Amino acid sequence: MATFELYRRSTIGMCLTETLDEMVQNGTLSPELAIQVLVQFDKSMAEALETQVKSKVSIKGHLHTYRFCDNVWTFMLQDAVIKIDDCQENVGRVKIVACDSKLLTQ
Amino acid sequence: MAATATTSQVYVNVIDDVVTKVRDEFINNGGPGEEVLKELQALWESKMIQAGVVVAPIERSNGAKPTPGGPITPVHDLNVPYEGNEEYETPTAEMLFPPTPLQTPMLTPLPGTVDNSMYNIPTGPSDYTSGNDTGGSADIKGGQSSPYVQQQSPSPWMNQRPSLDVNVAYDEGREEAQRGTSNQPLTQEFFTASMGKRKRDDLSSHYNNADGYIPQQDGAGDSASGVFEIEVCGGRISINAHQTTSREKMSANTERPTSGIPQLDGPIPFDDDMLSTPNIYNYEGVLSEDYNIANTPAPPEVPVSTPALIAQNEVANDNEEEDDDDDEPLNENDDDDDFDDLDQGEDQHTHHLVLAQFDKVTRTKSRWKCTLKDGIMHINNKDILFNKVPLSLRRNK
Repeated sequence: MATFELYRRSTIGMCLTETLDEMVQNGTLSPELAIQVLVQFDKSMAEALETQVKSKVSIKGHLHTYRFCDNVWTFMLQDAVIKIDDCQENVGRVKIVACDSKLLTQ
Repeated sequence: MAATATTSQVYVNVIDDVVTKVRDEFINNGGPGEEVLKELQALWESKMIQAGVVVAPIERSNGAKPTPGGPITPVHDLNVPYEGNEEYETPTAEMLFPPTPLQTPMLTPLPGTVDNSMYNIPTGPSDYTSGNDTGGSADIKGGQSSPYVQQQSPSPWMNQRPSLDVNVAYDEGREEAQRGTSNQPLTQEFFTASMGKRKRDDLSSHYNNADGYIPQQDGAGDSASGVFEIEVCGGRISINAHQTTSREKMSANTERPTSGIPQLDGPIPFDDDMLSTPNIYNYEGVLSEDYNIANTPAPPEVPVSTPALIAQNEVANDNEEEDDDDDEPLNENDDDDDFDDLDQGEDQHTHHLVLAQFDKVTRTKSRWKCTLKDGIMHINNKDILFNKVPLSLRRNK
């Protein structure tokens, strides 16, 4: 069953990956089980973002680089202005990685 | 790193959901056991707190209903006297509906009286009482025992759960985790088994992988190995000999089969203005272009670009080595130093990153518009979750 693995690159995903790596190295956990946990994390994270998150954000900026490969878009932005509900963040550079949402729903 | 309460709570929910759903794998089928699962959760949470994305202490709702994946209480054996929780041994029903002379606690009534008592006491708690009284009777109807069991199930599970010892692995700062994990079984189940609505696509066949793997790596720039990337910008195709040293190791790059199909028709052009292939991608003349359709140079039957790039690497290396001997270093100005140094020098966690799914990407001249959804942003050391983000970008040459 395919899942989006991109959320593993987030903070929560990296924490889980590090935890699983430590436990596999200790021999506490088998690699197969670790992969199952990661796959479950993919599903749970995707579902949580779909159902529990309500905030609206807008991003504007200068597109420095765009890349589309294997149905994955990667944008490199410069001087981005990100508006989150009421507050605003100014970021010098930001990298956006986006997968096709239709791949999961097909 | 700052973390909003909402983001922290969502993360905690995700952790709980994952732990709940993998519990079966840990306990059954010869898994490592519940203790290992608790250790995993504790470690995960502690790392999250250290990273600052989860607000400590972790608060979990006490009034949450038990998750469906929790242990199922076995059906109460009706052949033994009922020894239940005091909570359900309410005297209320007895006070409201005094037992009949033939119906006394802890006594096995006659079969005939069982039926009468059941029908004389219509309310829910009284069913418990009658069930309590007739615990020893073998003639209790299934219909009676069924609600009895169902109402009974949360109680023994919640109260008989052994105290979790999370102090095995860690000694410091475990108070909140211990408190949190001890309430673990009471976590509310937020997610229904709705995975059915997401049909797993047939795209797996396109990727020659029996596991249905969807690569989320864009195939360039993010691998720990020296992967060459083809960058298509503004109608020119150039081989970028840049090597990123990003620490993230995406399994996407390692799991792809090597196809070795070259994608160059000749020597590498060192002059940016000279194209080795005809300009079949008319980036200049199109007013509006929908980028949901793949327009990459790779042929459609070769969905993977990384192994082909590795093949080109070998070709490129040969050419470059020969030319380096004679001319000045090639591709000197092709590298994008601004972003390259950024990737090499910074820790991944401080990199401003947005991970999301896209619905649509369109371009009108130099204006790009796309809609992202269900994503995580890591901006200015903060984690922000979003449901929908309209992107409005302008690309100036």
